Amino acid sequence: MERSDVSLSFSLKKHLHFRSRSRAEGSDKSGFSVDIEFSTGEEFTVLFGPSGTGKSLLLNMLSGIVKPDEGFVRVDGRDVFNSTAGIDIPIRDRRTGYLFQDYAVFPHMTVFENIAYGIDRLPRSKIKAKVEELLELMRLGGLENRFPIELSGGQKQRVALARTLATEPKVLFLDEPFSALDYQVREKLRADLLIIHERYPITTLFVTHDLEEAFIMGEKIAVINNGRLEQFGTREEVFYKPKTRNVAKFLGVRNIFSGRVVSADGTTVTIENPELGEVKALVHPEERPFAAGEKITFGIRPEEIMVIRPDRPIDKKVQDNMLEGNILTTIGKGANHTVYLKLINSDTTLKIEIPNFAYRKLKLSKGKMTTVSLKKESIWIIPEKQVKV
Amino acid sequence: MDIFPLYLTLKVSVTATFFSVIIGLGLAYLMARKGFWGKGVLDALIMQPLVIPPTVLGYYLLVLLGRSGPLGRFFEDKLGVSIVFTWKGAVIAAFVASLPLFVRPARAAIEGVDRNLENAARLLGKTEWEVLKTITIPLAWRGIAAGSVMAFARATGEFGATLMVAGNIPGLTQTLPIAIYDAVQMGNTKMANILVGIITLFSFSVLYFVNRFTRGRY
Repeated sequence: MERSDVSLSFSLKKHLHFRSRSRAEGSDKSGFSVDIEFSTGEEFTVLFGPSGTGKSLLLNMLSGIVKPDEGFVRVDGRDVFNSTAGIDIPIRDRRTGYLFQDYAVFPHMTVFENIAYGIDRLPRSKIKAKVEELLELMRLGGLENRFPIELSGGQKQRVALARTLATEPKVLFLDEPFSALDYQVREKLRADLLIIHERYPITTLFVTHDLEEAFIMGEKIAVINNGRLEQFGTREEVFYKPKTRNVAKFLGVRNIFSGRVVSADGTTVTIENPELGEVKALVHPEERPFAAGEKITFGIRPEEIMVIRPDRPIDKKVQDNMLEGNILTTIGKGANHTVYLKLINSDTTLKIEIPNFAYRKLKLSKGKMTTVSLKKESIWIIPEKQVKV
Repeated sequence: MDIFPLYLTLKVSVTATFFSVIIGLGLAYLMARKGFWGKGVLDALIMQPLVIPPTVLGYYLLVLLGRSGPLGRFFEDKLGVSIVFTWKGAVIAAFVASLPLFVRPARAAIEGVDRNLENAARLLGKTEWEVLKTITIPLAWRGIAAGSVMAFARATGEFGATLMVAGNIPGLTQTLPIAIYDAVQMGNTKMANILVGIITLFSFSVLYFVNRFTRGRY
């Protein structure tokens, strides 16, 4: 497999109408539509969003499994689907690699036969060499004569990946491929996939509704909601500069507030919120300027809130945006603790994510009075006009 | 003992089953995988022989295939073949009667094949025909095999419709079930017993093998 420069661009519209079969339900579900447009290169791109928002449908349309009503799909500069030009290249000629959530390995074929399935037109010796190479790469050596029923879930998905890589696809689509696997296997497979992507850099779209997975895997992330694209950008842009309230919500930000711009001075914007008081935020000079009086939405990721150590002088960087409150409750999970802080004289609760070592060092516990600072550079602002609810 | 009825029954059943499997497979695939206008009507039509009396079925076929019937005239004039009161009539009667017994399990088996497996094959560059040949049919083969055996069993036991279409001409159109009826009518108990024994043994082994087919590896 030689390196290829592949890109994928698409703009799709599809309306699906489901008519409820049983009249007892009494509803005529009006349908679902997908209307999405973005283009991506050989980066590992994650399609992220809550369940049932059209991510899988999008992959189905891009691969040709489902036919869109309108729009186009372009792979490597060539239209594989274009409703206005009447182009609809059959699935078999699109050279799309695809991984299904339920693996879709052929149960009546051995591991070897599965991997060789798409390349059976090659000469026998070439098939053998290629399958052996992939068995090695996917850590499947010694399993080539087994049937899928004798494999674990992780092994089945590796067979499916080997089977699709054998055909040298131009793009790779993965539809929640690891969601049926347990945590350890999933972690290992994610690492495998990233290594393979580095070795064979092809355009990859990876669908997930798992926030952690989106963060680990996505060089670029497309956030999808209700069949629409909420935001598309690099991991950093999407996670730390959400463009809409929905994106912030889906990406685990619970600290979202409404406010009004008091003053905007170059890169510093001062915001007023009845619960928090005055909050200062740093904005990038390239971003649109904010005007005094403008209504905005702002927020901060839980891990960007600093807990102030009472026994140390306060660092200049965090002097702004100091808030005080009582710890309502703390939840330990994995390497972090989640702390809910109820601000004094306010109904607002902040969600704070803090590493375990810091949590222990600060001796945080329920009911403790604690001072925190909202880091200026970590606060993002969304103009009210763009906010979709 | 005259073995002609046994020979004729085998000839008629094998031919009828052959057509049931070939045509039935197409119908089963169509019913399982495609949506089209009039699908429900077609389904009800194929399944009719399961519920209407065989004599009614035979009557319809007689009207359709007889010398003055639309299909019968076509065969007679254009192809020079007469259907009614020949062994070909018995084949058609057995075919129509056995078709639903093949289509039903074959359709269920095809419906049971995970569509993602077929999609995976398409994504790997296979044509529709290749998908059918390497994925759908191999995975549905138990249902298809069971359906074939059931259709064959039904064809061998066909009585009412065959009698109407092919008649009861000894040495020409008299199949085993009709021969049994004849033997009983004429008080030839010994003959009846032998023929009944053959049919019983056959039917029992058919069901036994169907049950074995439906046990599977995956």
